[in-house]
Amino acid sequence: MRPTLLILRIKRFQKEKNPPGWIETFQVETRKGMNLLEALLRLQDEQDGTLAFRYACRGAVSGSCAMKVNGELVLACRTHVEDLLERPALIEPLPSFLVIRDLIVDMSTFFNHYRKIEPYLHGKPVSPQTEYIMNEDERREINTYIQCILCGICFGSCPAFEKDPIFIGPAMLAKAYRFLTDPRDQRDEEILKAVNNQQGVWGCKTVFNCVKVCPKEVPPTHAIIKIRRKLLRDEFASIVSRLFSLY
Amino acid sequence: MELFFYDILIIGGGLAGLRAAVEAKKGGREVAILSKVHPLRSHSVAAQGGINAALDNAPAPMKDSWENHAFDTIKGSDYLADQDAVEVMCREGIERVIEMEHWGTLFSRTEEGKIAQRPFGGAGFPRTCYAADRTGHNLLHTLYEQVMSLQITVYEEWYALSLVVEEGRCVGVLALNFFQGKIIPIQATCILLATGGYGRIYLRSTNAVINTGNGCFLAYHAGVPLEDMEFVQFHPTSLYGTNILITEGARGEGGFLINAEGKRFMEQYAPHLMELGPRDIVARAIQTEINEGRGVEGEFVYLDLRHLGRAKIMDRLPGIRQIAIDFAGVDPILKPLPIQPAQHYSMGGIPTNVDGETPLPGLFAAGECACVSVHGANRLGGNSLLETVVFGARAGRKVCQKAKIRKSGPHHTLFQEHLRAFQSELVEIFERKATEPCFQLREEMKSLMTYQVGMFRKESQLKMARERIIELKKRLLNVGVKQRDLAFNYEFIQYWELEGMLHLADVIVEGALARKESRGSHFRTDYPHRDDAHWLRHTLAYKTPEGPRFDYKEVTITSYPPKERTY
Repeated sequence: MRPTLLILRIKRFQKEKNPPGWIETFQVETRKGMNLLEALLRLQDEQDGTLAFRYACRGAVSGSCAMKVNGELVLACRTHVEDLLERPALIEPLPSFLVIRDLIVDMSTFFNHYRKIEPYLHGKPVSPQTEYIMNEDERREINTYIQCILCGICFGSCPAFEKDPIFIGPAMLAKAYRFLTDPRDQRDEEILKAVNNQQGVWGCKTVFNCVKVCPKEVPPTHAIIKIRRKLLRDEFASIVSRLFSLY
Repeated sequence: MELFFYDILIIGGGLAGLRAAVEAKKGGREVAILSKVHPLRSHSVAAQGGINAALDNAPAPMKDSWENHAFDTIKGSDYLADQDAVEVMCREGIERVIEMEHWGTLFSRTEEGKIAQRPFGGAGFPRTCYAADRTGHNLLHTLYEQVMSLQITVYEEWYALSLVVEEGRCVGVLALNFFQGKIIPIQATCILLATGGYGRIYLRSTNAVINTGNGCFLAYHAGVPLEDMEFVQFHPTSLYGTNILITEGARGEGGFLINAEGKRFMEQYAPHLMELGPRDIVARAIQTEINEGRGVEGEFVYLDLRHLGRAKIMDRLPGIRQIAIDFAGVDPILKPLPIQPAQHYSMGGIPTNVDGETPLPGLFAAGECACVSVHGANRLGGNSLLETVVFGARAGRKVCQKAKIRKSGPHHTLFQEHLRAFQSELVEIFERKATEPCFQLREEMKSLMTYQVGMFRKESQLKMARERIIELKKRLLNVGVKQRDLAFNYEFIQYWELEGMLHLADVIVEGALARKESRGSHFRTDYPHRDDAHWLRHTLAYKTPEGPRFDYKEVTITSYPPKERTY
């Protein structure tokens, strides 16, 4: 018979406690098809009302329940308990963020980085009565990057932060590319200038961790490489035109 | 005591709340949004299939118009919608959708590069604008981007605990900063509730875990009636097991519903529109098949998308494919999806006019928590996203005007009194002998609502449900909260939300019991026909210590007299 008892070792943190951090083991009886978020909700209901974690949609679209499970960065709702039954599972908060309490991390830096790229359409002039005309190929190119749910998982997986904590981060560069490539947005120079530095596209180590862990199949590294190419092309063009201007 | 002060306080950070905030901020007012989750985690993000507007972009034999949209909506509502409000929504919807596109929403495109539109249930035209099957995600992120660009203050992970009403006017709220455990009074000239639905009072619901119907209860508790709460929408296709939504767009793109005998059973229920009948009819058809033994394992039927082919599924329905793989282990390209109906939406809510004004001065509402009423007894797919942006914007405009005229200084003493009263209620809860766990009651309520106040209702079951709700309300007094500090106090939040949910359940049960007819989503097996002579009217439920007291009001009919509803 398959085992049904889930053993979770949860990394706790409550700053008023002494010591504030500890690992606590819980046992939850599971049922077929259960996911980790359900198990945590059940724990909170039945065993420990002080266990803190975020949740909302339980359908992998709100980006609320990102955490580290047996060393992997996942959304708890998308993680089947069947895969965690073999040995006790270690549950930790998302790395690279400050822990507020238990599995809740401080996302404010993440959103501050987001604000830096002015992530809203700076639209070209258009008649208020009609939509912008855009073809499906243009839409698809943006669509890949617009799936981002801002869950923070890519930040947790990114080695660039070790070298430079103010690196703007994979999700933000994917977003920057999303606006850069949107034919409706009048910015080009501004976006490129904002990310043409070590905190931007040149800080990425191109190890593709973010591409591997993204729960929505957004490939931030691809966006970064595309922006770099564009920057280099522009630079090359500018050198060529300067050379020509000498004659 | 700290007292925060704004012109406009918006409670809820989903589409309706954010759209109202943008409008009010652009009108020059001091605006703040308060939300129990970060706005991007709001349930609006989960909307999939699309947003209706008569753009007339899709090739069709005839020209579409907002009047056609209004007619479909009214017929879909089983003639309970207020027709003047429907007209406003359908007319203004066109500019609101274009506006969202101008702000950056990435709608799918037609060959000419215009916003693409797909067929949806109960609609005579392909009128549903979509961004693949992640329309809610795209709209919510776009509006949050606007909120960032306007630098609107957001109190994230705060709860609104109680409305402060003084001399017949709502003047603010008591809010809980959940991470710090502090109750902070917030005074505002106008308070807008945009808190969404209450799906979690049902066991089987497509709603997010956070959808507990708070806003409706806050208003109800403050003396505002709730309108038409017995009309609960059950979505035909939720994924069996988790009840996560599988968009109506799947049928809009051509998906079939198949019973255990391999038959497309909709031909018996809606021979013309088939799978694209309105939600109430399709959901009942599926449940009838299951109840009569033609379901699979007695629990579900199949939604078959295989004939659409890989390319179409990947392009138009990638989101539900991912959901089906992640949560049911089924790839719809290869296998049919197991689906069953589940609670999805609340047609009822806080009564408002087309400008979001409720019967309580100073209090406004928009989105799913409001009842304008544009959905009547049954909402058409694609109209809820539309409602959020149309009435969110209108309410935003109205609060802007109101806040300009009316200004008053801070009411320190008043808020102090309210705070003290609230805190003494808390002490009473903290000092109880806790003999019953909260979750036990919650689970009992959810099962009760799904099995006895679901798609098919009858007097004996509803009466039993009434008794059970009364019992659960009594037992709620046996539920205690051990931790006194309110910071991260999930026990307290669960308790407090359950109290509200039990009251909403009560209103739904009593309203369903009183309404002796079948109309839209409300189907009484003992009164299987619509009865316009007695029941072409809206229900209003007022909170009293003995339970809800009912009153009724006229339905506004403009150009579409009620007719028999066939599809």
